[in-house]
Amino acid sequence: MNPPIPAWADFVGAWDLFRDPVICGVAAGAVLGLLGVHVVLRRMVFVAATLSQVSGLGVALAFFAGIHLGTEVPPVLGALALSLLAAVLVSLDTRRLRVSRDSVLATLWLLAGGLAVMVGDRITQEAHDIAGILFGTAVLVRPEDLRAVLGVGALVATGATWAGRGLVFAGFDPDGARVQGLPVRALDVSLLVAVTVMVAVSTRALGALPVFAFSVLPALAALLAVRHLRWAFPLAALLGALAGGLGYLAAFFLSFPVGACQAVTAGLFVLLAVPVRLARGGE
Amino acid sequence: MSSTPLLRCERLVVGYGGRPVLPPVDLEIRPGEFWVVVGRNGSGKTTWFRTLLGLLSPVSGQVAWPQGRRPIAYVPQRSAFDELYPVPVREVVAMGAERGWSFLSPGGGRGDRVRQALTEVGAWELRDRNFRALSEGQKQRVLLARMLCSQAGIALLDEPTAAMDAVAEEEAMAMLDGLRRAHNLALVVVSHHLQVAFRHADRILFLDPEVGVEVGTVAEIQQSEAWRARYQDRHAGVLP
Ligand SMILES: Nc1ncnc2c1ncn2[C@@H]1O[C@H](COP(=O)(O)OP(=O)(O)OP(=O)(O)O)[C@@H](O)[C@H]1O
Ligand SMILES: [Mg+2]
Repeated sequence: MNPPIPAWADFVGAWDLFRDPVICGVAAGAVLGLLGVHVVLRRMVFVAATLSQVSGLGVALAFFAGIHLGTEVPPVLGALALSLLAAVLVSLDTRRLRVSRDSVLATLWLLAGGLAVMVGDRITQEAHDIAGILFGTAVLVRPEDLRAVLGVGALVATGATWAGRGLVFAGFDPDGARVQGLPVRALDVSLLVAVTVMVAVSTRALGALPVFAFSVLPALAALLAVRHLRWAFPLAALLGALAGGLGYLAAFFLSFPVGACQAVTAGLFVLLAVPVRLARGGE
Repeated sequence: MSSTPLLRCERLVVGYGGRPVLPPVDLEIRPGEFWVVVGRNGSGKTTWFRTLLGLLSPVSGQVAWPQGRRPIAYVPQRSAFDELYPVPVREVVAMGAERGWSFLSPGGGRGDRVRQALTEVGAWELRDRNFRALSEGQKQRVLLARMLCSQAGIALLDEPTAAMDAVAEEEAMAMLDGLRRAHNLALVVVSHHLQVAFRHADRILFLDPEVGVEVGTVAEIQQSEAWRARYQDRHAGVLP
């Protein structure tokens, strides 16, 4: 029943077709992996989950508007608008409501997921598969989406590296950083905006599931494997890139959906990093 | 010591959401002075610190900097640091050198300051250890090094010796005293251990929400109404 396993030559032969999605997966994985170190350390893991889910809803709504309302909205704008709105909601002070931030995130995540599937039900006839948006089943990437990932990715990676020392200080010891005049609030907001924008453009290109995976798992694996924080950034970027690229290859050769393979590859890195940490012990 | 004050509290009332936790405080801190802040749990020591640091706005009154706003070093109560971060000791110390947006420029050239600071507090051999894996006493030493690295004129230390045994505490206070002299640093230290504190302090700030605020030398404080009301009459046994 299973299709025959393709040969390496088949992949190389069709490289023109696969080049863009591979580059896109590698780039998104690397940049989200780098940002992910801050995401994991600042306990923003579920922020990333919610942002990718909400971005998926934004993409679906943009298709819906095009099909049923006759207004052409570029899907990447739908993703950006909705995820920036979610980022604002996430950063509101919820203590007045006496609810925790993770319950706010769960509400947004569930609403976005449910609504995306509902909207998806009304756009399938146009071959916009909701599974592609949420789980990243698409094999190809549109050139404009690749350009968005590369452009935003270059910007975000440069900024996060440049401000890296400040981001670490502000996360590690916010009061100490404030006392020394660091712009802690501006750093927090910039990080959230960077994560939101990168997640939104990547979700449009690759789907919500692999984007959530890239934002968390490579960084987690890197933090498990390294002794000192400064090595976590390059390693997380490398693992993210590998998850994007190897995940795509795995999908091709084993004939599985792409996004799922990328997420599982990133997850395997975490599983491999656990014994590294246990063997090293301590600190 | 009649030099210009570094910092002056003018009718400073501290508290949360407009509600004072203490009566007004008036005092001046000069370079090289050793202040000890005493008061029971919940009396407002940390609140007063956070107000001086600008982390909390005063309910009324103000904090003035007669010599212009100077870098201030802060050693928080217990570890206020996020344990998820695997930051090596030398990088924690180097953080003391950051100011404003300095993190955008390359951090090279701080190595000497970091080495000197760690050596001065006797913690150079900890330099490559992970900060989160240190004992509380070792962490305090590293934070003292960070304080030196910041080249601040005034340092606020919230119970820096709380985690130390009696010998370590006496050593730490003596070390603080030495650093104060060497760097003409104004030190403001919260301590619950009155005997040790009184041996080193030249000025005391005694805080008590009920009986009031007193400022003065050790002898003056011990003579004050507020102090007597709180300790002499009710809890004579705990006095040094
Ligand atoms: N965030 C806050 N909001 C409102 N009230 C607070 C807050 N933090 C502390 N308080 C109250 O302010 C008072 C002073 O607290 P503070 O932490 O300054 O005491 P402290 O002298 O440092 O005590 P300790 O010796 O236990 O450290 C206490 O009554 C406390 O309940
Ligand atoms: Mg306190």
